[in-house]
Amino acid sequence: MAFHEGFVSELVGRRATVNDLPIGKVADFLVNKPEDTFPAVDGLVIKTAQGPRFAPMETIADVDHDGAVALTSAPKVAAPPDSDSLYLVSDLLDKQIVDVDGRKVVRINDIELANTGGKLRVVAADVGVSGLLRRLGLKSFGKRFTPWIYKNVPRSLIAWNSVAPIRETNPSHVQLSQESKFARMHPSELAEIITDLSAREAAAVIHQLDDETAADALEHLDAETQRTIIEDIGTERAADIIEEMDSDDAADLLAELPEDQQTQLLAEMNEYTAGELRELVKYSEDTAGGLMTTDYTWIYPHRTAEQTIRKIREIAPESEFIYYLYVVDKQDRLLGVLTLRALLLAPPDATIEHIMESDVVTLATDTPARDVAATIARYDLLAVPVVDADFKMLGIVTVDDAIDAIMPENLARELPRITARKHPRPSTSSG
Amino acid sequence: MRKRSFWRSLLLLLSVLGPGFVTASAGNDVGGIATYSAAGAQFGYRVLWTLVPLAVSLIVVQEMATRMGAVTGKGLASLVRENFGVRTSFFAMFALFVINTGITATEFVGIATASQMFGISRYIVIPIAVVAVFFFILRFNNKVVERTFVVFSLIYLTYIVSAVLAHPDWHAVVMGTVVPDLHFNNIEYLVVVVGLIGTTISPYMQFFLQSAVVEKGTDEQDLWMARTDVVTGSILAIALAGFMIIANAATIYVANAHGAHLAPKEAADFAAALQPLAGEGAAVIFALGILNAGLFTATVLPLSTSYVVCEALGFEAAVDRKFSEAPVFFTLFGVGLIAGAAMVLIPGLPFLKFTIYAQVVQGMLLPFELILMLIIINKRSVMGTYTNSVLANAIGWATVVIIGGLSLFYGIHLILGGFR
Repeated sequence: MAFHEGFVSELVGRRATVNDLPIGKVADFLVNKPEDTFPAVDGLVIKTAQGPRFAPMETIADVDHDGAVALTSAPKVAAPPDSDSLYLVSDLLDKQIVDVDGRKVVRINDIELANTGGKLRVVAADVGVSGLLRRLGLKSFGKRFTPWIYKNVPRSLIAWNSVAPIRETNPSHVQLSQESKFARMHPSELAEIITDLSAREAAAVIHQLDDETAADALEHLDAETQRTIIEDIGTERAADIIEEMDSDDAADLLAELPEDQQTQLLAEMNEYTAGELRELVKYSEDTAGGLMTTDYTWIYPHRTAEQTIRKIREIAPESEFIYYLYVVDKQDRLLGVLTLRALLLAPPDATIEHIMESDVVTLATDTPARDVAATIARYDLLAVPVVDADFKMLGIVTVDDAIDAIMPENLARELPRITARKHPRPSTSSG
Repeated sequence: MRKRSFWRSLLLLLSVLGPGFVTASAGNDVGGIATYSAAGAQFGYRVLWTLVPLAVSLIVVQEMATRMGAVTGKGLASLVRENFGVRTSFFAMFALFVINTGITATEFVGIATASQMFGISRYIVIPIAVVAVFFFILRFNNKVVERTFVVFSLIYLTYIVSAVLAHPDWHAVVMGTVVPDLHFNNIEYLVVVVGLIGTTISPYMQFFLQSAVVEKGTDEQDLWMARTDVVTGSILAIALAGFMIIANAATIYVANAHGAHLAPKEAADFAAALQPLAGEGAAVIFALGILNAGLFTATVLPLSTSYVVCEALGFEAAVDRKFSEAPVFFTLFGVGLIAGAAMVLIPGLPFLKFTIYAQVVQGMLLPFELILMLIIINKRSVMGTYTNSVLANAIGWATVVIIGGLSLFYGIHLILGGFR
């Protein structure tokens, strides 16, 4: 094949010929495995006088034969229905996608194809001005009359492995793909994208995420957006996601919802989580009770350091916060606290009650957020326990939740974005 | 924690207030006040009948936008792009950007007129207004916008009261409303009619309305409620327009008929319509009203136009991004706002004429937008079972034909008669 690389817009509308005799025009491209990193084109749809016909790749002799697409035999079969496969032109061109590495919602102006290893593959989405000009038919115009301007038009190609369609055009492919491309984004980046989308598009993105990632992303959203999303994704899925959220965030979210919806969601969850959340929802949002999470690590006083470390190893993967270990008795009363550091440095056979700090700073559930933050700041803590009148452990407020509660909203927005990148950014632009 | 952007918050606010407010804010901006006032002052009660078919068209068009938003979950700009490709969207967006920049200019005309009524030069006030608009967007606050809306609505209430206090000839009002009065040979009458259409069914309004519906997450189940909102909102907007025409007809037109020469040359002259209510204070109320309307729309229009264009052409759009992250968005916004403001600084610009002709251009562009909407809304692949009914299609296409015909007629008249 003489064809090395080119754009869908350049191929669409080309004459299709068999033995140099025109039989129709190229209308679309069929992809059977869109979940591949760089999916192969499996055939062309040719618009003939008899209607759209499907030409499998094997029957395509040359994509660029004197400006026409040469076929070895005339296509006979009708194109497969849209529901079974992905069509580049009708399903993707002009549609919105998320550039998961550039963290942007953009639109596909053109699609780049390349001939690699004998196969025509989809390699990139053109989302830039040059793609627009090409579609407008201004490319040759630009080249001829204004070469200087045309050279300076930014080309922005997004490598196909970073292109995540907002709406999965074919829902059955969601299950096939091992990992949604959205999962590569940091939850705070996902949250940022979601705020740029309409309610239904946001729900479509959430639909492609696993419960845990969805929960992480949801935690980064404001109450209003959380609520619209929860209303859009259905009670069952919503309950699964809320179960995965930090209990304080989950409780805040539930508190925003109407009573009957709250009850329905709690009924869908497992009993233990639901019970915890029912307690947490009662507290006002700007008090220690409202800020606290029930996800803390507790240990027993009579165990040895070694036994405790083994225990921590067992439960730590489930736990968000393990830097402070709270020592409680059988009635859940707080006896003391032990830092992870102190535990690691202690002799293996030392009992916890001998190495723990028993003089613990605690808060009541109704302590205002400002005082919670002040306490954490004064004692240089990472978290502070919340107890009831009998010194029974109710939860902890972590330093990040305390900061969030007292920081002015517009200041939080102005802070630089600190985001961890799991993947190095591939080169997505050239020219 | 991620907050909603300015655009999202604004759309949500609009959707909560209801389409009626979207209509009122779009139709009754500076251009609306000027056109309705000019219609009443120049032609009296006999233009009132145009509001009846306008109300029907307005309801049908807005219902279509609402239904498209609810069924597809996408904005109108997205649908145009996805159904017509790059070329059509590009020209549609180009036209929208140009006319909206013109409309932005008319909002600054309102601000300039108000400042001149208070005796301050527009060369001082317009730059200050531009800075104020930037500040307003950076420090967006739902409460402030809500209050602006309330103050904004008050001026229309003053028109209702003033219209009643002016003791209009109610018999003439009723006759003017029910008896169509056509004058194809009167080009000024034609200008006012096309202007009335353009300002009442502004092309940009459909984009905002549909985006607001999508933002709210309205779906097929909520459609009945949204439709009720559309009907009440449209009727409210039309009724307010009617009272504005009556107030002007009962004062300026009637006085002229009795030999006075109040031929309004500038928008400021329309303040006379508020005299039955406010007497000497009419000028102050009128000035505050158009200042408020102008500032508010000048803030919203360039920004939302920029969002719509970027939505269609696929550029990143968000106020809280850096310039380098969304260069097209910020450029369009900056150019739209500053070019709009700069036009008003042209010495000797005929303010009133400019404002009304901007509405005429909107009216002439409306058929093109409606054709796109009608094609999309009749596609089963897009709308499923929610395609247009025969009645909606009939009214929709009739609107296209009538407005198109009027525009064509006007265009031919211009060519034959020369530009006046």
